[in-house]
Amino acid sequence: MSISQRQLALLLVAPGLALVAALFLYPLSFSLISAFTRPQGGISLDAFRKAWELYSSDMLFTVVIVLASCLFTGLAAIIIAGTLTLGENRWIVGTLKALYRWPLFIPFIVAAQCMRTFLAKNGLMNNSFVAMGLMEPLQAVSFLDWRGIIATFVWKQTPFVALLLAGALAALDRATLEAGRNLGATRLRVLVELALPQVMPQLLVALVLSFVTMLSVLSVPMMVAGSQPTMLTVDMAFRINAYGDYATANALGVVTYLLSAGAAIIYLKRGMAKEGAT
Amino acid sequence: MRLLTIATSLAALIAASPLSAQTLNVASAGDQNMVDYVKDYLGPMFEKAHPGVKVVSVGTGPGDAGSQKIYEKLDAQKGSATTDFDVVVIHQKAAGLMVKEGLLSKYTADVDTAKLATGDAARNALGTDVSGYVIPMFQSQTALAYNADMVKTPPATFAELADWAKKNPKQFGYNGIKGGMSGVAFVAGWVYAFGGDADKLMKGPYDAATKANWDKAFAELKAFNANATITPGNAGTLDMLNRGEIAIGPVWVDMFYSWQADGKLPPNMKLKLVSPGMPGQPMYYSIPEKSAQKKLAEAFIALATSPQVQADGIVKKFNWYPGIDAKNLEGKLDKAAWDKLFTDVTPAELASNGKPFPIAPYFNDILEGYEKKVAN
Repeated sequence: MSISQRQLALLLVAPGLALVAALFLYPLSFSLISAFTRPQGGISLDAFRKAWELYSSDMLFTVVIVLASCLFTGLAAIIIAGTLTLGENRWIVGTLKALYRWPLFIPFIVAAQCMRTFLAKNGLMNNSFVAMGLMEPLQAVSFLDWRGIIATFVWKQTPFVALLLAGALAALDRATLEAGRNLGATRLRVLVELALPQVMPQLLVALVLSFVTMLSVLSVPMMVAGSQPTMLTVDMAFRINAYGDYATANALGVVTYLLSAGAAIIYLKRGMAKEGAT
Repeated sequence: MRLLTIATSLAALIAASPLSAQTLNVASAGDQNMVDYVKDYLGPMFEKAHPGVKVVSVGTGPGDAGSQKIYEKLDAQKGSATTDFDVVVIHQKAAGLMVKEGLLSKYTADVDTAKLATGDAARNALGTDVSGYVIPMFQSQTALAYNADMVKTPPATFAELADWAKKNPKQFGYNGIKGGMSGVAFVAGWVYAFGGDADKLMKGPYDAATKANWDKAFAELKAFNANATITPGNAGTLDMLNRGEIAIGPVWVDMFYSWQADGKLPPNMKLKLVSPGMPGQPMYYSIPEKSAQKKLAEAFIALATSPQVQADGIVKKFNWYPGIDAKNLEGKLDKAAWDKLFTDVTPAELASNGKPFPIAPYFNDILEGYEKKVAN
């Protein structure tokens, strides 16, 4: 008996498919079912109603935090990647190149712990400002709230986006950029008007991946900020840990799926467009 | 021949191992100090008295969530022959639930020291009769900690505190209800103070319509929160007090004294138990119904609730109020150590303003009402 090309292909992808089914699709459908059923059985939206009643402001908070973090991450990454590609001061480019990837290797929870001591009212940052005479001790404010979460996310995700973006920028045809420079455009203008439009797809993909990552982080909101308002991951953990209330936690999970699905659609559309083009 | 050697040595190994392989698994809900108590103090003492036994201490996390994890584990292992835990240290709410579901063993008749704990807490856990299933490990109490340099005359009631917070925005801090029990206790105290019939909440009977009376109290708490700082946990509140970022916050009395003794809080910090009162609670020693080492577990709890250990460990070392009746500690403890427990909160204040938590169904209503009407 011989196996056809087609069957062989199926056989080859089978282990991967089985893994996805067992470790992702099965738990996913399990949590979907739990979100849409009553504990006694029967389909209902009770869990969603409860999730909305208790956590509607946290849902908004989560979206705002993650979107704002994406925005700032994008800006910071553009500045870093732009400097790396178009920078002319060798010393600055070299230092930046050596430094900017470091946060990639630091886990979220460690970053959160560092931020806790760095951003506190009498933490390292404010104390340094006071010591430098830039600020009076009484003016110090704590950044351990939504600002702290955004700062941690941006610090942690910028290198990832900058890495992808710098790679894309380096692959550009230098001739177009140099032509712009020759015609008298400033470096900023070359970056914004010539380079960035060409690498928009890569930037968008990197930001979509960051969006989904930040949506799922539990340690940072838990450690950096107090619990009101907080991100959905903390609420999910609380529902399960304090009450064993899996239905509401899963309903919150479905809300998170929907948010990340929005991002995933952008990602897939980009992928499709690219495949169509080649 | 070689096979024989391996077989005999294996057999010898198996024969020899039971002597050294007895492990007593102790699971504690609560903050790190609870885990440390078993790991650093009680465990080594028990191991010394019972050679060959190893005490393994695991923490399941602060607040009722920690007890919930123990409950889930025992519930999941209901069908198996034995559970992973031999001794559990749990909160009142979970104790009531576990007794109702038959997950705990009725063991106190086999432990002599059970007779030394005769208080209400040994029988009643938030409205559930738990006599026979638990011995209190300790009693603890929440109170407001304040920085005496920043607050000359601390508020004496919840109403005064609300006024004070309005005049001193962001100077009062607590951890909400998701980061440990000191925040939960503050919220319960708030409902006792402003929600109407507090006695009914503590003693029952449960009436599902009662929660409708709390709307005003919750609305006021929401306004109060706008002027308060939300801290990341029991320890988070103490941290911020220590750094001078807040001036008043609810804390566990025992943690407060321990932190002060360790130099993690400045000496100008004081405690105030405001009226009409804030809740406190015991932690319970219990044995799961399916524990594989019941005899050993009973011996462990007998040691833990003996007057000497209660005096040295619970009172002197960790600053908790004893779990067994105080009169049994006479002669085991010098007066200075005993008086230290009552430095800021006098026994009279404790008697009048130290309250239990509400009975379990009201308790759940308060927490859910808080999430719905205050936090959201």
